[in-house]
Amino acid sequence: MQTFDVLVIGSGGAGMRAALEAGARGGLAVGLMTKMFPTRSATGMAQGGINGFLGNADPTDSVAKHVFDTVKGSDYLGDQDAIAFFCGQAAAAIREIDYYGVPFSRDGDGRIAQRNFGGQSAPRTCFSADKTGHVILHTLYEQCLKHGVKMLTDRLLLDLAVDDDGLCGAVALDIRTGQVVPVRAKAVVIATGGAGRMYWSRTTNPFASTADGMAACFRAGIPLKDPEMVQFHPTGLAGTGILMSEASRAEGGYLYNNAGERFMARYAPEKMELATRDLVSQAIETEIREGRGFGTGLSAYVLLDLRHLGREKILERLPGIRDLAMTFERVDPVEAPIPIRPSCHYTMGGVDVTDFRTGGTALAGLFAAGEAACVSVHGANRLGGNSLADIMVFGKCAGAGAADYALGRDRKAGDGALAAKAAEWEERLAAAMARDDGPAVASIRDRLAEAMWNKVGIFRRGGEMKEAAAAIDGLTEEYARCAVGDDSRVFNTALVNYVELGNLLAMAKAAVLGALNRTESRGCHLREDYPARDDANFLKHTLVTLAGTRYELSYRPVVVTDYQPAERRY
Amino acid sequence: MEQVVYRIRRFDGRKEFWQEYRFAHEANKTVLWGLLKIKETVDPSLAFVAACRSAVCGACAVRVNGEAMLACETPLDALLERFGATLVLEPLGNFPVIRDLVVDWEPKAARLAEAKPWLVPREEFSAEAGCRQSQAEFRRINAQTNCILCGACASECNKLTTGDDDFYEPFVYTKAGKFVADSRDGAAADHLRPVLARGLWKCVHCQECVTKCPKRVAPAEDIAALRRASIRLGLADNQGTRHARAFAGDITKTGRLNETTMAVKTDGLLKSATRLPFALRLLRRGKLNPFHFPAPVEGIDGVRAIVKAAKEAKE
Ligand SMILES: Cc1cc2nc3c(=O)[nH]c(=O)nc-3n(C[C@H](O)[C@H](O)[C@H](O)COP(=O)(O)OP(=O)(O)OC[C@H]3O[C@@H](n4cnc5c(N)ncnc54)[C@H](O)[C@@H]3O)c2cc1C
Ligand code: SF4
Ligand code: SF4
Ligand code: FES
Repeated sequence: MQTFDVLVIGSGGAGMRAALEAGARGGLAVGLMTKMFPTRSATGMAQGGINGFLGNADPTDSVAKHVFDTVKGSDYLGDQDAIAFFCGQAAAAIREIDYYGVPFSRDGDGRIAQRNFGGQSAPRTCFSADKTGHVILHTLYEQCLKHGVKMLTDRLLLDLAVDDDGLCGAVALDIRTGQVVPVRAKAVVIATGGAGRMYWSRTTNPFASTADGMAACFRAGIPLKDPEMVQFHPTGLAGTGILMSEASRAEGGYLYNNAGERFMARYAPEKMELATRDLVSQAIETEIREGRGFGTGLSAYVLLDLRHLGREKILERLPGIRDLAMTFERVDPVEAPIPIRPSCHYTMGGVDVTDFRTGGTALAGLFAAGEAACVSVHGANRLGGNSLADIMVFGKCAGAGAADYALGRDRKAGDGALAAKAAEWEERLAAAMARDDGPAVASIRDRLAEAMWNKVGIFRRGGEMKEAAAAIDGLTEEYARCAVGDDSRVFNTALVNYVELGNLLAMAKAAVLGALNRTESRGCHLREDYPARDDANFLKHTLVTLAGTRYELSYRPVVVTDYQPAERRY
Repeated sequence: MEQVVYRIRRFDGRKEFWQEYRFAHEANKTVLWGLLKIKETVDPSLAFVAACRSAVCGACAVRVNGEAMLACETPLDALLERFGATLVLEPLGNFPVIRDLVVDWEPKAARLAEAKPWLVPREEFSAEAGCRQSQAEFRRINAQTNCILCGACASECNKLTTGDDDFYEPFVYTKAGKFVADSRDGAAADHLRPVLARGLWKCVHCQECVTKCPKRVAPAEDIAALRRASIRLGLADNQGTRHARAFAGDITKTGRLNETTMAVKTDGLLKSATRLPFALRLLRRGKLNPFHFPAPVEGIDGVRAIVKAAKEAKE
């Protein structure tokens, strides 16, 4: 059986940063498990940039301003102690990856260049043209190669194994052989990314963002925190949901409705297109609903216009965006505006992290970081550029936390629990592969996405969400008898999709439950039946816990230190 | 066109077979859309991988009608127009196949690691303070950092097809070249030695890696730059370098060798210098006459000036 001191699961920025940190301690066996080749991660898709106070572009910027922007951006649902820690570490994290080799765009003095991003009071976003996440991911991969991190590629996390002595390790599907393999570990870091695929094709996320780690932790008894907080990015391509990065607004892009009006003037007169994502997304959807969009129904859209920036600037600063627009919408932004519509983008909620300094959870030895985790620094709305900073800062913390824990832990082997979990999964997967008359995985998935987009999307109402909850229960029943459609043991991607769908259903159910019970509007969570923010009752985190097969709700107060909740105006 | 046919080379782990799938055409879709359509409505057992579906993760590269491309960004209509209703899909070449269109990256990753593709920061930099670099220096590595490790270049590399033991995948040279070119790196030789030891002078200049790369990376140019750097650093004492030197010497002396001066005129000397070994092979195969010693060209001083300038130019 493979045995590690620290097992990191997920090879995005958070996972690789954690693995590096644990590896750098020396003397520890560190494994990095991932369901695809390591560089195929959402992190590589991040175009816009990474936030940290460096003061390069604006000497009057400060950590305090970054803290306040983040608190305000979160609509006061972020924990202020965690946010202060996060902003305090971000600059060091950026300098460090510069030293690791991330090629940043530079200013006239050779320092890291910084630009404006939505919801920020100073140009604080560091970038590498418009492929920041890509270069960060590849640089970390290079460092992992350098440090000989043991990579377990094509391994799908199925579940964690826990016994009376605590965490024993993880059980995974070796996708290449079809075998269910137990992996012993003293400490595990969950870094499996977000859950955007709940909305299937209306998301900017890659196919792999299917809530696997969140669901595994949930089944192991860890609460999901704030699962209802789902960020929609205002500028997805109308046809595919593919992201036109916030850089497009940061560099000065305009949004127009069908009357040729820069409609943001109505919603955020000061910040205009640079207001936060939740506000801009809601504005666009309002325009569409009130008949000021182009087209109708699911294919309605508004326009993102970059033409006034000029060819040169588009080519220098936004080449990736131009490529995507040309490939997927057949529009060259140098010559024509781009049809866009909001698209599910980021999961603010996730595995309940209780110690932000270590990424620790309620289960000793289990750590979480990145989009899979909820620390919480993003609260009800994440600022652009804060996620890449999050995965560098908290990925490092979780790697160090797990390493420290593993060094101090002398555990008896929990092989019994691992073997039992493996046997359970083996049986379940074999049965699913053997069935040939059940509903198809893709059909259940598509209906889940439809229910989520129509009923738990940007605008939410109690009645509709109850319908969504019922629909998810129905789909979960269908799921129990669905057919995989492929019984081969070798690289069975249909089987992988089957496991992923189970996790999406679990996460969606928690999200709807959280959203139904949060009878207020805050950040991305906009209840038309409760349009006001309600600090008296909801300045608190939702916690959804699995008790047997029941989903239980509880709450935890938000940590408020320096900033009392105030109305959020941009 | 009503129907599209994908003729796919499949492999179940033991045996290989061909299978045809038909599905209804829709305008403005991609090759990946067709694969997903098959998987979701016709045959869930068809195996392929994709993640970002926006040409940045490198997962979905496949061979269509013999050419490697990213399935997610390649417009189906363009291919149908070019090839008719039937497209032949195969896994990438020069990779071990795991199943159907899925290939094994692990041996490639191991080879990549041999080239030490990581920054060795100069002494004046630190993890605490980071690095300094001018925007011009940043631009010098901007092209190589586009590489998404999709493997398209390796799939079509003619040198690699002849047996891959003495030659790396083109992207390996690109990665090594990135660090040699990075002004923050202080150990060019560390990145150069491994690629010199394996294949740097064996590229056959077919340019497949350049034409097939979906991200406008040009591994062949990186190979040329690595060769220049190895000569500059005095690392290269091997046949390839010696021939290149001798050749350059001839040109300086006589300015003759019309093919080359032509290339100089069209490409500029630096770029055309990379073609010298090609000329050597022509020579070996009797396509150039080595006993024909031409008189110095008219304006030989100009040629010498170019060579001198090239030597002086840093890159
Ligand atoms: C298109 C796009 C653009 C973005 N732009 C920006 C930006 O400009 N700035 C910014 O700050 N943020 C941006 N974000 C957000 C940011 O990129 C992500 O939130 C962040 O990269 C998440 O990193 P991660 O390491 O937590 O997860 P990911 O990068 O998603 O990595 C998750 C990893 O876990 C693996 N995994 C998942 N499930 C399993 C399993 N069951 N078993 C094994 N492995 C598994 C995956 O294969 C993957 O390797 C963007 C996101 C997208 C999608
Ligand atoms: S130019 Fe060289 S590296 Fe590129 S494909 Fe041809 S032989 Fe391979
Ligand atoms: S160089 Fe181009 S073709 Fe080769 S792996 Fe990189 S991106 Fe793909
Ligand atoms: S799916 Fe990522 S490059 Fe095609």
